[in-house]
Amino acid sequence: MTPQTIQRSPWYFLPTMVLIAGCIVAIVNFGLRSTLGLFTAPITEFHQWPRETYSFAIALQNLVWGIMTPVAGALADKYGSARVLITGAVIYALGLSTMNYADGPLVLHLSAGLLVGTGVALSSFGIVMAALGRIVPPEKRSWAFGLATASGSLGQFIFSPIAAGMIAAYGWNTALLVLAASSLLIIPFALPFLVQNSSVSQQMEGETSLTMTQAIAKAFGQTSFLLLASGFFVCGFQLAFITVHLPPFLAEHGISNEFAGFSMGLIGLFNVIGSYTSGIIGGRGKKRFPLSLIYLLRSVVLTLFLVLPITQTSTVMFTAALGLLWLSTVPLTMGLVTVMFGTRYMATLYGFVFLSHQIGSFLGVWLGGKLYDVYGSYDFVWWMSVALGLFAAIVHFPIREQRVATFATA
Amino acid sequence: MKWPGHRFVITLFVVVVSLWLVAMTALMRASALPPEANGTMLVVFEPGIDRNIAFASIVNAGAKPVRETAFGFIWVVQGDEAGTAGKLEAQGALGTYRDLPISPTVAGCIAVADAKVSNAFGL
Repeated sequence: MTPQTIQRSPWYFLPTMVLIAGCIVAIVNFGLRSTLGLFTAPITEFHQWPRETYSFAIALQNLVWGIMTPVAGALADKYGSARVLITGAVIYALGLSTMNYADGPLVLHLSAGLLVGTGVALSSFGIVMAALGRIVPPEKRSWAFGLATASGSLGQFIFSPIAAGMIAAYGWNTALLVLAASSLLIIPFALPFLVQNSSVSQQMEGETSLTMTQAIAKAFGQTSFLLLASGFFVCGFQLAFITVHLPPFLAEHGISNEFAGFSMGLIGLFNVIGSYTSGIIGGRGKKRFPLSLIYLLRSVVLTLFLVLPITQTSTVMFTAALGLLWLSTVPLTMGLVTVMFGTRYMATLYGFVFLSHQIGSFLGVWLGGKLYDVYGSYDFVWWMSVALGLFAAIVHFPIREQRVATFATA
Repeated sequence: MKWPGHRFVITLFVVVVSLWLVAMTALMRASALPPEANGTMLVVFEPGIDRNIAFASIVNAGAKPVRETAFGFIWVVQGDEAGTAGKLEAQGALGTYRDLPISPTVAGCIAVADAKVSNAFGL
């Protein structure tokens, strides 16, 4: 899709509208997902289920989200992002509303796990970024990726208190139904992406003539692609470990739950700034160097946090710094996929890189708990995170930041 | 074709956050407690009130302070007797709210705005 095409199009295809739509979709998608932890206590207490029942549903959701992301990407690359986003919104709404009527663990696992996981994948900001990547001119691409990621972060920041307030004011059943209805907001805001919609995957000017299967096979044959995916695995490991295990770690060091919650909120706030800034930086030069620097800085910040006395001040400084480095890897990683493979199959290939991120997330959460049980402390996993950060900083250096020959213009 | 820049992003995020504040204020209104309420609740006083005066008001209303926030005018309290919310307001509290599962500091700041508006318009 060229800027000229947009110029001839209706108002809702104008660049400003496309960007607003992308931001709203990212805010709603990421925001809604971040509220589900708030339903743990009310749902399990209402049904008198063990916490494990709800936890398993959310774990399943994360797994389905990871597995479905490349599938969603492939569908978006073939049928256009708008159709996939709309389908995702409907599945998301169906999953959230069915959670309300789950009278047994199986229905909960199918709704909160399978349906919501699929809905999240199909309406995620990865699909939005792929659409933006095709619509915006190359010099604005990284900035747009940063904007979409920052919007997702903002969604996390603003939706949680709203959901918490609704649960308290109207009860969890009503809150879930309102959130389910909110997910349908994605539908009207997906429509501007019809500007790049196609019924079949079309080869655009300057893009590869490979089929999707060939493109996936060729990408997996590229060392740079594997290095990028392994780096993103580390991102998932670190973020998921910290999200789940930082509050209990802080509690062990005398930091109150309220202050831990405030600190986690700081991560979200600074994440908006970090993601947007990294998009700007990615547009100004090589992407692998800032990406390496982000992982290196994560290791430095983690090390300082671990070796210095843990106080409220050090916690605030740690979470603020970590927030700046939180999802700032996303625009640069997406940008590298685009540089190496072009835009035709970017959603699919980014989906596979994201799958690696989700496997890292699973291991980060699981090993965090498992090794805590073994060693009686989080120290081992913290230092493992530091080492993985250094590993990720190193593996991005050899990435060949140029179009792969087989993906060059046909 | 001119693509928007940083000013667009700032405007968009300011609009989103403003809408969020409106939604949060509406939720706080729905979470406001009637005078006869008791139990764990969030109580907000006039910003700038001396921390000790706020503490004394809570005790005088027959409630127990549970958590003090970063600001001395926002407290989480426990009142076992019916009518604790009304007694707190009689002691000078701007308003009492359900104890929401979010940071009381954030909830309290929005609650102050809600209390000011509802008191001004007699809601």
